[in-house]
Amino acid sequence: MIKTRWFMLPVLVVVLALLAPTGIATGQAVKNPDTYVAVSFGDWDTFDYAWAYDTSSFEVIFNVYEPLIFFDGGRMDRFAPMLATAVPSVQNGLLSPDGKTYTFPIRQGVKFHDGSPLTAEDAAYSLQRFLLTDRDGGPSSLLSEWILGITSTRDDKGNLALKFGDLQRAVQVKGNNVVVTLKEPFGGFLSIMAQWSYVVSKKWAIKNGDWPGTAATMAKYNNPKKESTAFFEKANGTGPFKLETWDRAGRQVILVRNDNYWRAPTRLKRVVIRSVEEVATRILMLKAGDADSIALTRRELPQIEGDPNIKIIDDIPTGTSTNPAWFFTFDIDCRGNPDCGSGRLDGNGIPPNFFSDVNVRRGFAYSFDFNTFLQDGYRGKATLAKGMIPLGMFGYNPKQEYFTFDRARATAAFREAFGGQVWERGFKLTVLYNAGNVVRELGSRILKDTIESLNPKFKVDIRGVTWSTYLAAMDASRLPVFWIGWLADYPDPHNFAFHFFHSDGTFPHSQKFKNAEVDALVSIAAREPDVKKRQQLYFQINQKYFELVPSVATVNAIGFRNQRTWVHGWYYNPIYPGTYWYTVFKG
Amino acid sequence: MTVFIARRLLLLPLVGIGVTILIFGLLQLLSPVQRASLYVTDPRQLLAVDQVIRTHGLDKPLYIQYVQWLWNVVRGDLGWSETAKMTVARAIRTFFPATLELTLYAFLPIVVLGIWLGTISAVHRDRIIDHFSRLFAIGGQSMPTFVWGLLLLMVFYGAWRLFPPGRLSLDASLYVLSPQFRAYTHLLTVDALLNRQFWIFLDALRHLVLPVVTLSLVSAATLVRVTRSSMLETLRQDYVRTARAKGLEEPRVINKHARKNAMIPVVTLSTLLFVGLLNGVLITETIFGYPGIGRWGGNAALQLDAAAVAGFALLNAGLLVIGNLTADVLYAWIDPRIRLG
Amino acid sequence: MSVLAERKLAQQELPVTLSTWQIAVLRFRRNPLSMMGLVIIVGFVLIALLAPVLAPPAPNVRDPFMMPHAGYSPDPQPPRAGHPFGTTEQAFDIYYGFVWGARTAFRVGLIVVVTSVVIGILVGGVAGYYRGRVDEILMRIVDIFLAFPGLILAVVIVAILGPGLDNVMIALALVGWPGYARLLRGEILSVRERDYVEAARAMGASDPKIIIRHVLPNSIYPILVVSSLDMGSIVVAAAALSFLGLGAPVGYADWGQIISLSRNWIIGSGGNAFIFWYTVVFPGIALVLFTLGWNLLGDAFRDILDPRLRGST
Repeated sequence: MIKTRWFMLPVLVVVLALLAPTGIATGQAVKNPDTYVAVSFGDWDTFDYAWAYDTSSFEVIFNVYEPLIFFDGGRMDRFAPMLATAVPSVQNGLLSPDGKTYTFPIRQGVKFHDGSPLTAEDAAYSLQRFLLTDRDGGPSSLLSEWILGITSTRDDKGNLALKFGDLQRAVQVKGNNVVVTLKEPFGGFLSIMAQWSYVVSKKWAIKNGDWPGTAATMAKYNNPKKESTAFFEKANGTGPFKLETWDRAGRQVILVRNDNYWRAPTRLKRVVIRSVEEVATRILMLKAGDADSIALTRRELPQIEGDPNIKIIDDIPTGTSTNPAWFFTFDIDCRGNPDCGSGRLDGNGIPPNFFSDVNVRRGFAYSFDFNTFLQDGYRGKATLAKGMIPLGMFGYNPKQEYFTFDRARATAAFREAFGGQVWERGFKLTVLYNAGNVVRELGSRILKDTIESLNPKFKVDIRGVTWSTYLAAMDASRLPVFWIGWLADYPDPHNFAFHFFHSDGTFPHSQKFKNAEVDALVSIAAREPDVKKRQQLYFQINQKYFELVPSVATVNAIGFRNQRTWVHGWYYNPIYPGTYWYTVFKG
Repeated sequence: MTVFIARRLLLLPLVGIGVTILIFGLLQLLSPVQRASLYVTDPRQLLAVDQVIRTHGLDKPLYIQYVQWLWNVVRGDLGWSETAKMTVARAIRTFFPATLELTLYAFLPIVVLGIWLGTISAVHRDRIIDHFSRLFAIGGQSMPTFVWGLLLLMVFYGAWRLFPPGRLSLDASLYVLSPQFRAYTHLLTVDALLNRQFWIFLDALRHLVLPVVTLSLVSAATLVRVTRSSMLETLRQDYVRTARAKGLEEPRVINKHARKNAMIPVVTLSTLLFVGLLNGVLITETIFGYPGIGRWGGNAALQLDAAAVAGFALLNAGLLVIGNLTADVLYAWIDPRIRLG
Repeated sequence: MSVLAERKLAQQELPVTLSTWQIAVLRFRRNPLSMMGLVIIVGFVLIALLAPVLAPPAPNVRDPFMMPHAGYSPDPQPPRAGHPFGTTEQAFDIYYGFVWGARTAFRVGLIVVVTSVVIGILVGGVAGYYRGRVDEILMRIVDIFLAFPGLILAVVIVAILGPGLDNVMIALALVGWPGYARLLRGEILSVRERDYVEAARAMGASDPKIIIRHVLPNSIYPILVVSSLDMGSIVVAAAALSFLGLGAPVGYADWGQIISLSRNWIIGSGGNAFIFWYTVVFPGIALVLFTLGWNLLGDAFRDILDPRLRGST
């Protein structure tokens, strides 16, 4: 009979499938004892230290390559020697008194993964290449700003304006040392170096077709295509792990132990990082032991709580991001913009300069129910922000006065706004967020509900848009109020002060916010060499941020870590882009 | 026959150009900054938008960009897919086999189940079995795919640890990536057998079960309906009545006479289904972490990766033309009265 | 008896002939599944019409389609007093969404189907009737649209236009019209050869008149069948788009959007896998019943209205 014959086939397939060795852990036996499996989502961009700017790529980079100095244990404000043998300071003479010349003595006896020895030449080349690469939207400007005094290596027409001589003078080899000379002193320079000064092998780079290190070839390797650099999918570093494969077909990256590491080799033989988009699937993998840790947000945390095989380490300070904050646009482009409504202060819209009145901004700020946001968005695990500098970073002032949920003050501020017209006529606008971001959507909803409850003439709509629309609208200053966050490029308050407050910074640029006094203050604070004085300056900046309220920071999240109970040795530094597997083992 | 096939294949470039013009036309609605969002993914890169536009030529008029793209395609360069981090051609080569394998394994149960249930429904029209199969079919189709997928995953993986997500387990995956394993077809089950690694064959099979079942649940429904209605029609035909009147037993009537003729619309649908499966896997692949072309295409569409979407469109156009061609050839084979061309 | 009276008597004794309409109704009533389909759809129509009564929106609410939320709890809560179907994450009331979602479902389904059918009839009609060059060109355009995978094309369109139900409707209509065009063209091709069309042409009737009075009414049946099946599948397709983040905004009374909120909760929590059953079951029931109803109705239409099946009750 046809039907029975054909029916047998799928049955056969299922039976066969069941016969496969299941690898099910019986009881508590450790699965894959010498291989760590981390499951996350998203994709890796490139493993080129001079090109990458996302945390996924850097999670791999910082396990495979090493910088000259690194962060000391779990501290963001203390540094330890890594490929340099000492951290430059005025006391040990490696930092010149004028704060501009840093000398890094290079460690001897370190080998790259291909066996070749590390020299000062390699370190200098790596830095110069980092500065030269300067790809669009890349990290090069972080160092070039202070080392070369420029934010772009190209002129207005897109041609290379950087001179080889400048590079050579700024980063020099002197014996076994690499000497870096800044154009201006910067108190946070070491924190940038600890995060971005990865060292690669010059010989290996040249052998694999990358920049030979000469003047003539500079233009070719400036702003290269991501896929054409030697470091895109291959790696040769000094780190505790080697990059074995970037399996794009299987969406996984495989790292393997470096047995010739200059410190004691790791106990893990392999690290496999897999990418699985669906969070429910990741959770099931963690529970089954097929994953040793997964990417998870606090909203999903209850689903793994109570599982005896999963350990949750909570109350981890994050300290490197101000996320989310919401921003006002001071001069909104209302042409053909439905988010402005009528474009006039007539109760059905807002004028382009709506947020130029500080009372409007204060009214919004005091209308936000910070505590409910904290409770329902973070399950209570967050602290209220005190401004743009996050808790845990130098320059954070725990005594700074900041906004709280205060209907009386909000109402008072609104009544003052535009000489009372805002209160009388009302307004209508849209708050936007990046679609899919649950927390920002929640924040928008909380803001909307409260403001609308203050005065029936206040109408706030909320809308989620795709990233492409959001980016374009931000770029064109078309968003009246928008939510976004900032992840520190390096653990120094200047990174936040500049991009939140200085008119050349990322957000003020889009908000069309400009205040000369603030600009001056931010510049001076960056360059102040005395640590105590510098802190005072950042306290002043915090106060100004509160008074001028160009944007409103909400909370500083408290992080957590999930891992199987058979994972040990993990430790934490908020600045890490991911897990540092050197000390981790399973057993 | 060959002329017919050749003429049909000539359609391919026409349809291909048409489809890609449609895509580029839609992209026309985006501003250069919106298109730059493919490269500027982090707020820290906001200030680089103008540079990105200049580097990638995103502000050139779209018809110029299209002509440039077309010229590259003719020379064999489908462009770079930012979402896949490799060339479009390589992305297709990398991800297509996975989906093909999944589709091939899903196709059989879908067709078998669909035809079987559809026939039974038609033959026992309006009885309990008919009602049941129709309800089953409709139920399968009316719930979003991810609901079935997650339910199955929860029961068969979460609770019983039988069928895991992904494509291969860790050990099998490491072996496949090692130089010892030679990939001939990139269909893991086939390659495993060719490499004489039976355990990898079983491992791959285990990972295929849940996605296949999910796809079957959702797609069998359409086939059940079409088979049912087609069989109903056929069973009313005069020649069937004649066969019955002649005293032929019912099973023979069905199998020998009715079924073959009822198969015509079923064949069309099956080939379209096959091609349709290749696209419908987007959600299934996302749920099960199965790295196939549906997931890549869907991601590319969401992030507006123009080159990838255009390449995906071309691939699909090609598959459809070949699919239609196969259907027509099968028609002619089933019904000798149909002349091709 | 007069001749007239005799003739009248004779007429009264002739067997009753039923009109086509009466045959249709008779067949419909005989088939229990068809009746079930009708009952289901009528039920949903009632729910949609009575939405403000069954689930009254809060006073002064600007958009009744936004589901009410008492608080912002990140976890779904089970059915309880005041929330008979439970609440989703962010405390949206599922019962409210179920009721008002019926309105959304009809709105989305009808708009998409009507738009697709109208465009399809225009294109397919012109192609089928005029044939030749026009047919070739139009059918190539149809092929081009069909060559692109439906869901992905919809994703591209909505990704470009922006998320939201309006754009979802546009996308689904653009994806759906080619099917109708092809269907109608096929029907017209077969109908135009029939005798009554020839006769009409011979009598000098103009083309549009022929199309509207003779060709269309006879080729319309398959479209009726397919469009009723489509009503269900469109709502499910919109649900798929919501899953990808491209559908109605979070909190909108749309079954697809509500069920896509369940995606993180399907696998349950801790030891209990089905603890959040209500986030899936209630919107799921709505989707299944809605699709079921339209499917049964569509099958019934086909069984009844197919001219080839007439004469064989």
